[in-house]
Amino acid sequence: MSRSASLLNSYGMHVRPMHSGHGVSLPKKSPSVPDLNRTYLGENKSNVSMMSEPKPPNSKPSLVESNSVEDATDLSFIELYEEAEEDENGSGSTTPMTDPIPAAVSYSSELEQTTNSILKDLSHFDRYGFKKQSTYITENEYNSWWSEYSQYCIRRKRKWQDLLEKSGLSTNNDSPDRFPPKSEKLKRYVRKGIPAEWRGNAWWYFARGQEKLNKNKGLYDKILNNLNSSQNGQLRDSDVIERDLNRTFPDNIHFQRKSDDTEEPLMIQSLRRVLIAFSIYNPKIGYCQSMNFLVGLLLLFLDEEKAFWMLVIITSRYLPGVHNVNLEGVNIDQGVLMLCIKEYLPEFWHRIMPKQQARNNEFLYKLPPLTLCTASWFMSCFVGVVPIETTLRIWDCLFYEESHVLFKISLSIIKLSEQELSRHNHHNTRSRPPNKDDDDIEIFQIIQTFPKKLLNPNDIFDRVIFKRRISFNNLNQEEIDRCRKYVTSQRLKHKNYTELVGDKAASSSNRDSKMASDLINDALSSEVYGFKKSLTGVHWNNSIKEKVRQIRRR
Amino acid sequence: MSGARTGKSLTKYKIVFLGEQGVGKTSLITRFMYDTFDDHYQATIGIDFLSKTMYLDDKTIRLQLWDTAGQERFRSLIPSYIRDSHVAIVVYDVTNKKSFEYIDKWVEDVKNERGEENVILCIVGNKNDLVDERQVSTEEGERKAQVLNAKIFIETSTKAGFNVKNLFKRIAKSLPEFQNSTNVPLDNENAQSKPDVIDISTNSAEQEQSGCQC
Repeated sequence: MSRSASLLNSYGMHVRPMHSGHGVSLPKKSPSVPDLNRTYLGENKSNVSMMSEPKPPNSKPSLVESNSVEDATDLSFIELYEEAEEDENGSGSTTPMTDPIPAAVSYSSELEQTTNSILKDLSHFDRYGFKKQSTYITENEYNSWWSEYSQYCIRRKRKWQDLLEKSGLSTNNDSPDRFPPKSEKLKRYVRKGIPAEWRGNAWWYFARGQEKLNKNKGLYDKILNNLNSSQNGQLRDSDVIERDLNRTFPDNIHFQRKSDDTEEPLMIQSLRRVLIAFSIYNPKIGYCQSMNFLVGLLLLFLDEEKAFWMLVIITSRYLPGVHNVNLEGVNIDQGVLMLCIKEYLPEFWHRIMPKQQARNNEFLYKLPPLTLCTASWFMSCFVGVVPIETTLRIWDCLFYEESHVLFKISLSIIKLSEQELSRHNHHNTRSRPPNKDDDDIEIFQIIQTFPKKLLNPNDIFDRVIFKRRISFNNLNQEEIDRCRKYVTSQRLKHKNYTELVGDKAASSSNRDSKMASDLINDALSSEVYGFKKSLTGVHWNNSIKEKVRQIRRR
Repeated sequence: MSGARTGKSLTKYKIVFLGEQGVGKTSLITRFMYDTFDDHYQATIGIDFLSKTMYLDDKTIRLQLWDTAGQERFRSLIPSYIRDSHVAIVVYDVTNKKSFEYIDKWVEDVKNERGEENVILCIVGNKNDLVDERQVSTEEGERKAQVLNAKIFIETSTKAGFNVKNLFKRIAKSLPEFQNSTNVPLDNENAQSKPDVIDISTNSAEQEQSGCQC
């Protein structure tokens, strides 16, 4: 407790307002979208009002509930940061904020006291209801980062407000539902982060969710209604879904059962409905672990029906086949990621790939061990892989720029972990020749652990994504689509070949089967993937060189 | 079978955790590593890796623990991790009959990758604190473990902290490193001074009851 007390003393003005009122504000009926708006700029007064009068059920995300008093406070905040222009790369202004709170605190001291005690408990949670502390990040680290990052958020929000205004779009009571047409500028804005309380709407807009919904009006409800009248409980996936509901965000207060509650949290109920409905809507996928995280996060920003359609969009448009029963989409994307690593991070590539496998395309069929770690990055779109604020910034880009973002971010994470990786490498070579097995494990552990410490999203964005000279920033959606096609067809061919040759080889000697597998590899390696966007000399030469080498070998 | 020894470094043993979704694989590892328990752990996607140094009988070994996703469709991704494991721990939930029936499949995967002889197979029935909800009796578990030729069968409760240390102690005892040694409790001070090390040779407050020695 002494820790949190000292926090209030040193950061009080910054920290206290930011994490108000979670859980308490949850409406008693669906949708269960938590109120981010209240907590965003930290209006303490709204905490108070929020606790005294529960929000009425509302069919839209509850982000709309900004009131006029708040707006006035907003402005006082913003004026302080107006000068911070495009240059967000630095640490930004650290001018202490003036306390916006007194304006509205006019409640009885009794209420204040309960409020304070609730606030004290809530101080351990962030504005989305997640516990600030993790195995890798202390609450102190979180708070000191947040005291700066929250100011960055305020500056960015002001920028967005200006942009909307200039584009003749309304902020619609702090819940804009239309955004400017795509442009380089808008892309930059998205990459710098969509304001938290606009996120649901913005994701929905950029992913063209409404289009999807309009084509399927009423379908979500229909699925659920049919369910009620018939087979609930005997559904193929209901058991596996049930077992993951409470294992989705156990550290988030919206997903936790309060000790005095007999009913399960609304979020859990919504999560169940969306996952069940999806398993009926798309039986080819049904339920796949990791979808619980996707839906869980969506539900924090969108109502149930929209979350459902976003899941449909994610699993079909952004991650095709990834969650299918055979997980072939996972293997394809990991193959693509390996090609990207080979192309853009050659040093790392040589560490994870034994030479003989690297020469031909064998790694596309026998994926290296590391891919089981990186596979989860894709399956859950980084939920649980990086800290939440970083996840959200990635999602902003995902819905605006589509799936190639996931590959870029993966490459970024590996690039950022280079220092740690090389530290281990040097240590290794000095004492003894590196042992491949040990090295593999060490790499696996670093790649698994490193992203969990990426508390500040700008570590990825400023140090990698916004750096022009980093070659993989040329990757675009077209390239990834082409790459996916290539890997898909290579894997398919490999499967067909092995089925064909495999039957014969099984009945003959070892030498024959060795020959057979060489034959397959040769046949398939004749088609080498060349990255289009990297025609900048070196890369082009590499892919030509490879082709020449193969012709010679033959 | 022997652990991978390189130069002066510790002998390393690879342990893979298998079993249905939600039976308590992550919980078992967390109890062993940190001696803590939560009602719910985030579902594991893909594979999680942890490593821990363990003291027993004056010897130190390094355990590499591979925690896997339990849903059936992930089974196709996991074999490569079983391939060079020294120990396979197949977990079921004593309150869930289905999870018990599924251990056959996991054991089959292990035997396909490692053969019968090359791996120490453990069958673990978890959640045995939930007395009222039990669907699989200890005898059934023992019988199955015998049929499957498992070296170790044990019931645990990660919630109550029951038999978890015992499980790892028995695993360690079956490793070649410890085949001919007697249990000499290690200097406690030494063990506690290293944060990343678990000394399983001391008798803890945990009440221990061994399952059958099959």
